[in-house]
Amino acid sequence: MPARRILVPATVFASVILLWWLTHQAGWTNAYLLPAPAAVIEALVDLAASGLLVKHTLVSLQRVLLGFGLSVGLALPLAVLMSASRPARAVLDPLLEFARQVPPLALIPLLILWLGIGEAQKLGIIVLASFFPVFLGFRGGIDGVDTKLVEVGRVAGLSRREILTRIVLPSALPELVVGLRISLGYSWRALVGAELIASSAGLGYMIIDAENLARTDIVLAGILVIGAIGLLSDLVLRLAIGRAFPWLSPHLEAARA
Amino acid sequence: MLELDDASRHYIVAGRTVAALDDVTQHFSDGSITTVVGRSGCGKTTLLRLLAGLTEPSSGRVQRAPSHSIGVVFQEARLMPWLDVAANVAFPLKKRLSEAEIADRVSDSLSLVGLTEARRALPSQLSGGMAQRVAIARALAQHPDILLLDEPFSALDAFTRRRLQGVLIDIWQERRPTVVLVTHDVEEAVLLGESVIEMESGRVVGRVPLDIPFPREATDPAVVDYRRRILARLVDGAPFSSIQNPRRNP
Repeated sequence: MPARRILVPATVFASVILLWWLTHQAGWTNAYLLPAPAAVIEALVDLAASGLLVKHTLVSLQRVLLGFGLSVGLALPLAVLMSASRPARAVLDPLLEFARQVPPLALIPLLILWLGIGEAQKLGIIVLASFFPVFLGFRGGIDGVDTKLVEVGRVAGLSRREILTRIVLPSALPELVVGLRISLGYSWRALVGAELIASSAGLGYMIIDAENLARTDIVLAGILVIGAIGLLSDLVLRLAIGRAFPWLSPHLEAARA
Repeated sequence: MLELDDASRHYIVAGRTVAALDDVTQHFSDGSITTVVGRSGCGKTTLLRLLAGLTEPSSGRVQRAPSHSIGVVFQEARLMPWLDVAANVAFPLKKRLSEAEIADRVSDSLSLVGLTEARRALPSQLSGGMAQRVAIARALAQHPDILLLDEPFSALDAFTRRRLQGVLIDIWQERRPTVVLVTHDVEEAVLLGESVIEMESGRVVGRVPLDIPFPREATDPAVVDYRRRILARLVDGAPFSSIQNPRRNP
């Protein structure tokens, strides 16, 4: 089974690359608009050899992890607070619902005005993009707690606090995990958006810089790296969660960010 | 002390008031074992939920000694999916007993329900019947003063059901909790109850004391006779007072 789980996606990717190579060999595509696979690999090797790839990747990775961490750090306490307190819910719900409808990219001009063009603005965009999935996931998990399990706690004489920590929070974990994975994916997407504007390092910057220099091969190389790191970070997150909470394993297969 | 005084429970369904439990007064003396039998929807589960304190009466009172601990076996297993079998059984005991005592209780009650081998399994790996046995073990491990069971054995195969009915009687005779068991199975009600409460449309329509010694056999003529009479009452609506104790009135 594990062999097939690697074999099938590997075959799919290999087929796409083969098709790409064939269209190129047949002369169907303009080498400027879609460079050959070999050219992209060459660009990747050059970038790696010059140390630029590692530098840009590390900058981006740091931004994503920081932004994602901030989102999670904000979303979890807020979700618990709003589930536990009716007044908090009444005040915050309309505000958050409004904020949720606004695409983070629409806020970039404001964020630049407020936070400048430094790191704070980029983190701001990532937080805006990644906050809601994890927040909503956790709230949904808490609100959707099986009241039948809560009753087991009540007849056992558990306090409200014990019911929260021993029943409600653990039972919210599957939805939280889905939220975490979607958030991580959104962090990556937002990162590139943030780095496309006013930036001097990071994979998004590398791509926009390459576009200005008409280096489509580097653009494609950047896209490949972003996709690969996205897949990898999701895998790491899934493995970490699967190890920490073995009972969640079935849920990890179901949800894809 | 466990008692319902004129207890009613109403629900509003589509604008109309429906009585799930209607003016029920029943006393369950300490250390007794009582079974409650009736059709689906007759209010048995509501009665049990009132006794457990999970539902408040709309009117009337539920009286229970505040010091008495309660163990409940629900119709469904209600296991915590993130805990393995042993941790589920230990769930109500955490922070109330020492780790060593908890470990003993868990081992004892898992062996009572025959699930020692499954102690490390997760609920998702259990069959419905196994999960229900874990739920029974969880209630037994509490050593509760009051043990309330709602159709506890209906998910089990006939062999396991018979064995666990025996386990319940053994535990009751050994520790003397006050037991109230709800069932739609008349034979089970007769096999397990010192008295059988019969319910219909939210009301208690009869309470029959059964003086047959435990353990009872389903083939015992007295058991067969009670079963037949209660069934006749449930199906035909014969007045409950016509059921006499066959030993006193042969």
